[in-house]
Parts: sequence; structure tokens; C-alpha cells
Amino acid sequence: MSYDALVIGAGANGLVTAHYLARAGKHVLVVEQRHAADPSADIGWVPDVVIRDLGLARAGLRIEQPDPWITVPLAGGRGGGGTLELSRDIGRSVEAIRHISPSDAAKWPEFCNRMRTLAGVLERLYLVPPPDIESTDARELARIAGLGLYVRRRGKQTVIDLARILPMSITELLDDWFESDVLKGLLGALGIWHLKQGPRAGGTAFNFLHHHAGSPAGVFRPPRSNVTQALSALPGVEVRHGERANVLAPNGRATGVVLEKSGEEILAPLVVSSADPRSTLQPVAIELDPEFGRAVDNIKARGVVARGTLTLESTPAYSTLCIAPSLDYLEHAYDDAKYGRDSATPYVEVQKTDGRLELHVQYVPYTDGAANVQRHQALQLRVAQVLGAQPSQVKLHSPDEEELQHGSTEGHLYHGELTLDQILFMRPVPGWSRYRTPIEGLYLCGSGTHPGGGIPGAAGRNAAREML
Amino acid sequence: MKQYDAIVIGGGHNGLVTAAYLARAGKSVLVLERRPRVGGAAVTEEIFPGFKFTMFSYVVSLLRPEIIRDLDLPRHGLHILPLESTVTPMENGDYLAGWADHDETRRELYRHSPRDAEAYDEYGRLMHFMAQAVKPILGMVPPDPTSFAPGDLAGLLKLGKHFRGLGAERLHALVKLMTMSSADFLDEWFETDVLKATKSASGIIGTFLGPRSPGTAYVLLHHYMGELDGVFRAWGFAKGGTGAVSEAIASAARSFGAEIRCDAGVSKVLVRTGRATGVVLENGDELPAGIVVSSLDPRRTFLQLLEPEHLPSHLVADIKRFKFRGSSGKVNLALDALPSFTCMPGVGRQHRGAISISPSLDYVERAYDDAKYGEFSRRPYMDIVFPSMIDPGMAPPGKHVMSIFVQYAPYNLNGGWTDAKREAFGDAVVNTVESFAPGFKSQILHRQVITPLDIERITGLSEGNIFAGELALHQLFFLRPAPGWAKFATPVRGFFQCGSGTHPGGGIMGASGRLAAMRILKDGK
Repeated sequence: MSYDALVIGAGANGLVTAHYLARAGKHVLVVEQRHAADPSADIGWVPDVVIRDLGLARAGLRIEQPDPWITVPLAGGRGGGGTLELSRDIGRSVEAIRHISPSDAAKWPEFCNRMRTLAGVLERLYLVPPPDIESTDARELARIAGLGLYVRRRGKQTVIDLARILPMSITELLDDWFESDVLKGLLGALGIWHLKQGPRAGGTAFNFLHHHAGSPAGVFRPPRSNVTQALSALPGVEVRHGERANVLAPNGRATGVVLEKSGEEILAPLVVSSADPRSTLQPVAIELDPEFGRAVDNIKARGVVARGTLTLESTPAYSTLCIAPSLDYLEHAYDDAKYGRDSATPYVEVQKTDGRLELHVQYVPYTDGAANVQRHQALQLRVAQVLGAQPSQVKLHSPDEEELQHGSTEGHLYHGELTLDQILFMRPVPGWSRYRTPIEGLYLCGSGTHPGGGIPGAAGRNAAREML
Repeated sequence: MKQYDAIVIGGGHNGLVTAAYLARAGKSVLVLERRPRVGGAAVTEEIFPGFKFTMFSYVVSLLRPEIIRDLDLPRHGLHILPLESTVTPMENGDYLAGWADHDETRRELYRHSPRDAEAYDEYGRLMHFMAQAVKPILGMVPPDPTSFAPGDLAGLLKLGKHFRGLGAERLHALVKLMTMSSADFLDEWFETDVLKATKSASGIIGTFLGPRSPGTAYVLLHHYMGELDGVFRAWGFAKGGTGAVSEAIASAARSFGAEIRCDAGVSKVLVRTGRATGVVLENGDELPAGIVVSSLDPRRTFLQLLEPEHLPSHLVADIKRFKFRGSSGKVNLALDALPSFTCMPGVGRQHRGAISISPSLDYVERAYDDAKYGEFSRRPYMDIVFPSMIDPGMAPPGKHVMSIFVQYAPYNLNGGWTDAKREAFGDAVVNTVESFAPGFKSQILHRQVITPLDIERITGLSEGNIFAGELALHQLFFLRPAPGWAKFATPVRGFFQCGSGTHPGGGIMGASGRLAAMRILKDGK
């Protein structure tokens, strides 16, 4: 059996790359280490162009954009203080916010519009390879100039906002606009998603906008979908489950993969990995080029999120429950993580998708890659307390457990933090942002590449287009 | 009444530099200083009989060499003495030292980590190069990226060319320096915690950030600029204290014909039909001038000296948003004898350099944690020098002065600063030093504790921020102090800004003052 291309990993990006390659007439095999598909929802914006190109709507793609998109309990005991619920409809959100702060309510529409404009700029950057600022190629320079012009056409305020806001902390950004702790807490939480940084860290405003990409104005939680499942249902690509594959690259050229269990070698002239760059490249690239190897070692992918599920007797009314009562609450949660401890009072979010309740718990810092039963139980108890549930109803995977089970470096869902030094032409490593690697025939297409995690399919599509 | 071509408000080093350059170009210039002496935050005062202190800023490293040259400052008394070394006492009784002798420093590093000793030279070369690469930007009026004016487009193009000319590797390093935390940046190079802690400390100076906060790597680089023109470690100490630097610039300005009037605080800038016509002094006197230049920080320049109706409302909003958040304090001590540190007992060459109290990254980060929630650090980061060891004129024979720069002391302390809080802060500082140098407390003759609130009261720097506004990425270059107003002009014609709150800002650098003067002279009026 011979293949034109092998793709490691059957997540959204791996499958998107595989299908784009298959559409171009290539014979593609995808090797996935999991035995069965991951039942958890894909969180993030699935770009329309991917849906259209691959016909995902016909393959059963369902995108949930819940409305109201967030529910936050207000102080005054469990349920006693009522809730704040924000809706897609900006006017309704204004009404809801008015109960906690009339001044914040008045600013809400303008805030939503400004953020939407900035996220729109990011969306445009995300659906193409990152600008190559070292290039001397006239076409690339023209493209960069075009991007520059595009931004300038959004108006003076947009240029200033981009320069000012992207390097800011989410705390500074929100303090510029709002006074209510509750509102700032629920918005600020999005700014720290999958970062080992607190809300006062520069760059968290960018992370906030990154996760706003693809959402309508006034909605600050990304949509949830079954895109991986829909992609799996698409015909045209062969998938082998339950096999962990490593890249074969004798003499600096990728020739295929070797399966870890059986030692079987599968050959192909093109190998694409959607696994994280560190685990893909560390075994093969280090001797090849020490500088590159060092850059790969230096990728920051410090997992800080435990994910899992919550089982309740009855389905709750909310779509997303957010426990992040203030920016200081988040900052305190981060303080623990700085010194390697799980947050004593973590930020917890419950996301209801297809009736399943999924958990996002931050900060649970990666430590040593070992399972620790005591730590696990303590965390379970804390999360249960925060939610007012029983510990037995909470199931969690820490980043350490994630790495143990699935090999993703430090259990980081995005294969690399979305900090300003790890985006655009710096992602996954400086100078190698075009999905290529120093190993001929080996490409990357996962979240570790531009535009990063939380946008299922974007990196996969960009990568496939580079290869073709 | 004499009509001056230009009045400069504030006799800090930037105001004096602007005045000197304007006078040198033939303008009649008057500098108005609120305090009895020039210098602003760069002053030397005899606080206790026989003991002279550099009250606030205490080291000189960033002063632009072209200013030293143009104004011929050595002739006016500027004499910089090198700081020999940096010693960091560790909590286990060991130490990390960086000496003047490069080979000795390497041997010392090797003792901690052979790998780090290897990386040290390469790191030094990179930082040296990066500082060189940024240098032209410090000497450039920031172009406005929102404007389509030919001058701005040309400036942007020049900037683009400059960056591309660096080459890929260095361009990437620059992006990292602009965006990372100093801890993360240093992690890519070194493994020795105390080395990373000591190096990262220069990334937190004057900021309300910890070593693990993104943005601090830039401040790290900012402090490397000082190591430019005098080979390695141009960190130095001015003979006579930093006040002597101010005096030298003042003397140069006078030699070009500038007048300097102390005890002359300015309350308002006079504006008629959108044009500055002079100033009103605190005593009510009006002084007319064709050009008025403010070296005060942006908040005072725009919100105090002018009336809101002179400014577009978005600029008022931008300036109100400009972050100061002073975070540093100073403790000045008169000593009977030099302290003996556990890690390096007795008196020796360590006293001729800096003692850095930064035993580990977690130590510095914890110091920041206290400040984040509105308390001063219980065990602060400190940078200690003994000026009397370098310049014996600072203290009576046999006695010494000790200058302790302390972080963090937040301006907005929970409950506000009181005399009792100030003393408690002083105690925290002294007790922490005592833990590294037992017996030290008994050597103290006099103690002066300066909080950010004191810095604000005495020097006028808003919230006691030593850089006249935080050196955060979103407050630099064309955003310093506000988008559209980073080129030293203001919406009021004939009224200019020249303080550290403008590009490039921070430290005893003088670059803002010089660029402002150039801009004013180029404008003709």
C-alpha cells in the first residue's frame, strides 16, 4: 500500500489538512493514537471557508452559539444573589448589565463594536499564512502592504487600538472601560484561556481578542461544534486509529512514519504532523540543526487547564456557567500557579454542548508529567466546592494526565501558548512559520502553528494550501 | 519685562537639556524650577549634616553620549566613576558576583553552572547588539502610523528598512524582547536561578510588573543601552551624585546664555486663540514667551498646566488613561561603618559595586505579589550602593552613605501612605538587609525613607513614577504619551513637551529633551 501523504493526528486540523490534500488528488492516510474519537466538543470558530470547501454542513456539522452565551452567579450565596446573563442581542445585555452598573451598561455597545473591529482584523490575518517580514519577494511584500492598507482602511482608531491594545493586559483594557467586577471577571477569564499568565500580564488583551474571532459583536465566548466528528464522517481519507506514529527522517528527509507499537513503517513522500511541534520535532530535528532544536525546546507550552465533565441529575438551564467573580480572583488563582500549585480558588467554567457538561478549570499547572492521586482528589474537591456539586460528579484531566495519556507536551491544548512572542511569524518557532520544517518533506499543521489553538481547521487549511 | 524666546517649565535633566540646546542655537531661554535647586529627580542633597545623598535616582548609565559631547559636559564638571561589580547574596549564604574583570565573572558563573558560563558571552553579545539596534530608534522622532503625511510614511519606511536590515535572527530576538517577560526570556539562556533573578531585576525597575510579567524584557533591554559606549558596564556613579549631572547640564545651559530661576513654580500656561503666549507663576506673575516647553510628566503637562478646553476630549481621555503607578521607594542611610554581608564577610571590593537583593526569581516575584494587592513588599527587591566608597566626598571621614533603591512600594497603598506606614516600610527594608548582613542595624546613624507619595510631593512626578510614566509597550514610541501627540508638540501651538513622559523616556538619558529641542528648532518657532 503506498500513500502520497501521511498525516499524524485525526484532530480537526489533521483531518482538514488530509481532506484538502485528498481533494487535490492525493492518497492520504491519517494515523491517530486514540482508539476512539474524543467525545468532547470542539471549542472555537470554524472558519466558513473550511465549512464550504469541505462541505461540512452536509457531513452533519453542528455549531452551537448559545444565547444567552454566559451566566454568572452574583454574590449573595448560591443563587441567592441572582445571575447576570449576557445575550447576543446587545440591547438585552445592556439591560442586564444595567442592574449591576448603569455606567458599564452605557459603554457596552461601543466596547462590543470596537472589539469586533479588532477581532475582524485578526480573522483576516488568520485565514492566510503569517506575513513573512524577512521576505524580499515582491509578491509577499505586496501582500504585507495590502494587509497594512486593510488595517488603515478600518480607520485611525483601529490602527491605534491595535498597537495599544494587543500588548496590553486584559485588566488594563477592561479597567479602561468598566467598573463592575462581575463583568470584568467574566470577560477577563477569556483573556487568560490556556495561558500561564494572570489577567495583569501584557498580551492577555490579545488572547481575549483571539478568542473573540469568529463571534458576533457582543459575544465573548467562542462557539462550540462537533467539527472533528463531522470531519471524521467525510469520505475520501483513510484513518487508522489506536496507533502512535513517529516521523521517519533519515538523512534529514522525511520518508514516512513508524508505528510505535508494531514497529511497522509506512512510507510516503509527504509527512504532515498535527501533533504538537515539540513532540513531533524533538526526536528528529535536534541533531539536524542545533539552533532550530533550541528554538523548539524553547516553545512555551505550559499546560494550565484541567478539562473534564460534570454530571448533574438534571440538565441545568444555563449554556455556560462562569465562576470568575473578579479580575483579582483570577489573579489570585494565577499566583498559585506561578509557584507550581493548583489554584486554591480556580476559575471554573461549565460549557453545555449537546447536553454534555464540559469543564474548563484554570489554573492547574503542569508539573512533572506524573499522575498524583492526592493532588487529583484535592482538585476535584475544590472544583466541586466552587460549583456547589459533589466531588463524584466532577471528572477532570490535569495537564500532567493529558501528557501521560496523549503525549501532548505539558498537556497544552493549543500546543503552545498564545503569547505575543509565539504568534504570527514567531509560531511555532521564529522563522519557521510557514508550516515547513528543516526536514524536507515534513510539515506541521496543528494548533502549534499559525494561527494557533481555538480555531479548529484554520491551521490545517493554511498548511495544506502551503503544501499544494 | 524681558520677552524670552522660550520658557522651559521644570529644571530636571530633560528640561535643562532642552534649554541648553535651544540656547546653543541662539534662543533666549528661561528655565523655571519650582524647587530651590535644579535637578528634579536627579539631585544631591545634604540631608544629614556631612552626609550627602542622591535623593532619588542614583546611577548614571543612559545619558546619551551625543549630549555629553554637544554640551561638553565634562568641562562643566561631569565626572562618571565606574561601578565595579554586582554581588547578590543568596539565602543559603552563598553569593553570585559579577566583577569588572570579565574572566573572573566567567569563573564565578562557572562555579554556579558551566552551561551558563558558556551562554553568558553569547547572551552579552546579543544584548549588546540589540541595544545597538534599538539606539537609532531612541534618536528618532516617532512617525505616526495613522497618518498619510509624507514625513510619516517616510519615517515608517525607514523604520521598516531598519528592522529588516537586522537580519532574521536578530529581528526575532527583538520581537521576543519587546513582548516577553524577563524571566521567560532569561529562561531561554540560563539555568542558574540567582543569575536569572539578578538579571531580571533590571527588567522590573520602575514598573508595576513582576519578573514573570510580559513587557519586562523590554525594560531589561532599556537598561542595557547604558552598556553601550563605555564597552562593558557603563553603569556608573557621578562624582558628587546625580545632582552633579544636573548641575553640569545647568552650567552648560548657562554658558550658552540660558537663565535658570529656582523657587519659581509655574501654575498655568497662558493660551490665547490656541497659541501659548507665556506662563503664570505660582505667585501670580505672568511671563511672556514665544515658545513654552514643559518637562513635567504628561499628566501635569496636559491636565494641570492647560485647561481642558484647550485640548481635544480624546486627548484628555488618553492622558487620564496614561499609566504611572509608581512602584519604587528609596531608603537613604547614614552609616557609622560598612555592613558585613554573611556571604562575603568584612569590607572589600563588594562595597564599591552594587549589592542586589534578588536571591531568587520567586523572591522577586513574591515581592511583586505583595504590591499587586496594595501592600509594600515584606521582603523587597533592593539595589544597594555605597556612594561614599566611590566618591569619599559624600560622607564625613570614616562614615558612609548607603543608597537603597527598593521595589515594590505601590503608590496606591491599601489605606494610603501615612508616617507610620512609611516607617514600617523602612523597617521592612532594614530588616531584610539585616537578614543578609547581621549587625547592620546597629551601624545606622540616620535614616531617610522615601515612598512614591514622597517622590510625587517633592519632585512632582505623578504617582511617584520614576520614569514619568510606565515604560510599558503600549506607552512607548508613537504612543508615548498619547497617539498623535508623540512628536513633542501639543494641540496648543507654541507649547511643547520634552520630559521623560515622551519618547523614548526613562532614566537619566536626556534623549527626550534633546529630541524635543531639535523638533522645536526645526519648526522655526
